[in-house]
Amino acid sequence: MEARVVNKGQLPELLDKLAKDYDLIAPVQEETVVLFRKISGGKDAFLEYTNSDVSPKGCFLPQNEKTFNYTYTGDSIEINKPEGAQKAVLFGARPCDIKAITTLDPVFEGEKFGDEYYSSKRENTVIIGLSCSKVLSTCFCYAFEGGPCDGTGSDLLFTEIGDKYYVEVNTEKGKALADAYSQIFSSQGADQLAKDKEELAKKLAGEFVRKVDLTGVKELLDNNFELAFWSGDEQKKCIGCGTCTYVCPTCHCFDIFDYPTGDFDGARLRCWDSCMYPEYTLMAGGHNPRPSRKERVRNRFMHKLKYHLDRYNMVGCVGCGRCVRKCPVNIDITKIINDLKEVAQNA
Amino acid sequence: MPNPTALTPYPVTITKIVDETSDVKTFTVVFDDPDIMDNFGNLPGQVCMLSIFGEGESTISITSAPTRGKFLEFTVKRVGRLTNIMHQMEVGQKFGVRGPYGNWFPFDIMKGKDLFFVGGGFALAPIRSLIDYALSEQHRSEYGKVEILYGSRSYEDLCFKSDLFERWPSLSNTAIYTTVDRGGDNWQGRVGHVPGYVEEVAPSPENKFAIIAGPPIMIKFALPVMEKLGFKNEQIITTLEMRMKCCLGKCGRCNIGSKFVCVDGPVFSLAQLKGMPQEY
Repeated sequence: MEARVVNKGQLPELLDKLAKDYDLIAPVQEETVVLFRKISGGKDAFLEYTNSDVSPKGCFLPQNEKTFNYTYTGDSIEINKPEGAQKAVLFGARPCDIKAITTLDPVFEGEKFGDEYYSSKRENTVIIGLSCSKVLSTCFCYAFEGGPCDGTGSDLLFTEIGDKYYVEVNTEKGKALADAYSQIFSSQGADQLAKDKEELAKKLAGEFVRKVDLTGVKELLDNNFELAFWSGDEQKKCIGCGTCTYVCPTCHCFDIFDYPTGDFDGARLRCWDSCMYPEYTLMAGGHNPRPSRKERVRNRFMHKLKYHLDRYNMVGCVGCGRCVRKCPVNIDITKIINDLKEVAQNA
Repeated sequence: MPNPTALTPYPVTITKIVDETSDVKTFTVVFDDPDIMDNFGNLPGQVCMLSIFGEGESTISITSAPTRGKFLEFTVKRVGRLTNIMHQMEVGQKFGVRGPYGNWFPFDIMKGKDLFFVGGGFALAPIRSLIDYALSEQHRSEYGKVEILYGSRSYEDLCFKSDLFERWPSLSNTAIYTTVDRGGDNWQGRVGHVPGYVEEVAPSPENKFAIIAGPPIMIKFALPVMEKLGFKNEQIITTLEMRMKCCLGKCGRCNIGSKFVCVDGPVFSLAQLKGMPQEY
């Protein structure tokens, strides 16, 4: 694998250049919230974060997205679709969030149907990851084949080592970008930094405080849809606010609805939806296959721990810990996993 | 060719509207673009997303068989906002359609077999596509006897009356059994529920597929009857409904376990359903 080196001092210059040549999307701090949005240069980026409040999945599946404009009178229909995506760079995404994007790929690009809106953005975006330099108490990416310095899914992965970034070139797309800014991406000293990065990865791997053991959990869920566990106290706490699904980087559910702007004109939008809401599955005739929180909570965790694996052979959770941090009633997927492991052992 | 990956519907024009019951209408539509009509390629059992711009979309099964001609029929019950608008539409007006989506009835595997249809209320609509496919001139010789047992609350609630009382009985090797929950002055036929009538007619499971669609309560009581008659799970085929938004296996909500009804269904055998969570 090829590697490059970027001096930390040159990062603002690189981001300025990227913002000029691409739509540059990077982490920013707005009041107390860290999220990803388009920036105009290095001065806007906020890289002193470990895990953003909002994941960068919105780069590819925006929270609200127009699929087309319409004019409809009943006797005539006119539809105008937006243009495809601009060339973009997603800079500074953490390994868990990039891995999450790879779990969305088979949903939107695989199987029978593609998704032009997602694919257009995916194809036109270069993903530059940023290794974590510390581990939060809510982090557990290691449990889902991830790691704080894991480059899976990234085109380039930056790892901060002293006053330099060690840059792994993971794809042709990443190489093309590094080559285009060769005055900033040098090859000098990459070998030593590679060793330093390995040391860092090893050090961080030992810093996880949350112990998560998936042993037997998938097999338990494979064979048991009805478990008394799902009626337990932990699950009863859920107030159905949907926060876990909005902050989750692997949740991909969406709603489609029309937003009229006049008597005959409007836009069809899709926006994030949540399986934690009763309306999500409520049919026009009044029947609801998941009528209570028990079924909805079960569905969410089954999706993360079983359904996504069954369907795409990919984990449905990347261990970013956002749902653990943000849940207002402290429902904790790591506790759920460990409890399910107990159930499996005692079965 | 229609691009089924797109979320963009294609304009259709309504060419005919039939009032089936007080709250059910059948809309016949053709695509404005003849190429899309010619290449739509819908198979019996598949569904479409219908667009009323300004209101949204709704998943509706294609009631017509592709063998009947270059048009689509949708039988729509007035239950919500979108269907309420549809019920006010007139011949000549337009709405949007995208599809076709989902799997189809296993008409290849059914070749050489007798078909016994059991329908309740408005749910005759999705299986009517297979009835007409099997009864079409092109395919009639591929199937044995076609029997249709259908019931609804009252005579007024029976859908497809001209099919039931005129068209289907006039075709060779068919049998139509009709029942209503409540009789009345305009009904001289049988009065009673569908499951009891199935038990009375007692179809032999030999060399036969049973295709069942109806409200959950009818299915619940009809299945034990079928089992008692000796039908195996593989011989019983049904079609499911779920709330859907994309119909492309992405928006998430129509899952039953790891399956999405929009792409893996809506048609399932009872054998398949028994291997899935009971969450539908």
